[in-house]
Amino acid sequence: MNTLSHHLTDETLQDYSAGVLNAPMETLIACHLTLCPSCRQRSQLADAIGGLSLGDEDAVAMKASASDILSLDKTTAQIDTTPPPIEMQLQGVPKPLARLLPGPMTELPWKSFGPGMKQFNLGSQPRKEGAFKLLSLDPGSRMSKHTHQHRELTFIVSGSYSDELGQFKAGDIADLSADHHHRPHVDSDVPCISLIATDAPVIFDGLFGKMVQPFVGI
Amino acid sequence: MDAQLLQTAKSLDPAAQALTQRMRDNLVAIGKHRDENAFQDFYAHFSGRIKSFLMGKGMQESVAEELSQEIMLIVWRRAESYDPDKAAPSTWLFTIARNRRTDYLRGNSRIEVELDDEMLEVDSSEPTQDEQVGLSQQAQVLEMAMNKLPQEQRQVLHLSYFRGQSHGAIAKWLDLPIGTVKSRIRLAMQSIRSEIKSEEI
Repeated sequence: MNTLSHHLTDETLQDYSAGVLNAPMETLIACHLTLCPSCRQRSQLADAIGGLSLGDEDAVAMKASASDILSLDKTTAQIDTTPPPIEMQLQGVPKPLARLLPGPMTELPWKSFGPGMKQFNLGSQPRKEGAFKLLSLDPGSRMSKHTHQHRELTFIVSGSYSDELGQFKAGDIADLSADHHHRPHVDSDVPCISLIATDAPVIFDGLFGKMVQPFVGI
Repeated sequence: MDAQLLQTAKSLDPAAQALTQRMRDNLVAIGKHRDENAFQDFYAHFSGRIKSFLMGKGMQESVAEELSQEIMLIVWRRAESYDPDKAAPSTWLFTIARNRRTDYLRGNSRIEVELDDEMLEVDSSEPTQDEQVGLSQQAQVLEMAMNKLPQEQRQVLHLSYFRGQSHGAIAKWLDLPIGTVKSRIRLAMQSIRSEIKSEEI
């Protein structure tokens, strides 16, 4: 399998471990972790730090005793936490994303937002709380130069793009913070499909970018 | 790190090491034999800390009590899924508590990696024997590494795990630029990782 070149930052893995991110961000992170043993290992370390901090905590008195829990076991139904079965398996799509899709990539109700550019919205939250969507950009497409108020994660599902940080291929994740301006262009022969989540709207630099922003909605 | 120093480091806190081992044995005994005494001991050590963890994240006492009970019930029922070679008992418990808290607050489950994915070429290779040894000692080494961190780095880690705050909120709380909070997190993670590496050699 291909080696991945772009990974999650420590800050993001630590936020993920602490459980302070929203579901869209978690989805992107889980997609990358599916394919990336080294980020998985770093993520386990972050969990171990969480565990250790738990041990440091001063205890608060519990009302229930251990015996109460054992009797609770006899009277409480099993809590089922296994994830629901997946509607359909999609080649090359990690399960955390596949769960959210009503069909294969080619059959999604994409909405065009420019020549060779279309998107499929996955989020239902208001725009000010950030975006969660798939973008499909045809070969040769360029995004306007933009930056972000807080954090933007981009997971490459297929195809590739390049920007100031290098080339991003399937499985890579771009973990960008507010101080980063970039202008991606698609350099694969096939459309570049990426999953993006932001925790605040993208800020486009140029006038054209500002004009299209309400339509792109990222 | 030379062998003697390594030895000193490993024997740094025998009490903590013994406690970790006891909790590990408890989980294994619950998983294998439904051992009620092992559960009593595990509960006595961890239940109040779980409750404190949840209350630290701004939860009402009554809700934290109820969730802590549920979490301990999950421990009792799922201890057989605990693999002592893969994680410290505190790590396993922490992930259960965090996930249960997310489910409760958000109304939908935390999204996690799924490695049983036949539609992908997933590299789910297990750590080698050497790395396994590293993992079983990890809790101890990690504790040492955490103790060596500068106070300002420990503080941001603590706020993040125990107050459930985003880096932005921590920055506001400490009246620092968010970049400073992030770089403290980054530095802390880096020094912990390099500490663990030097221990494994």
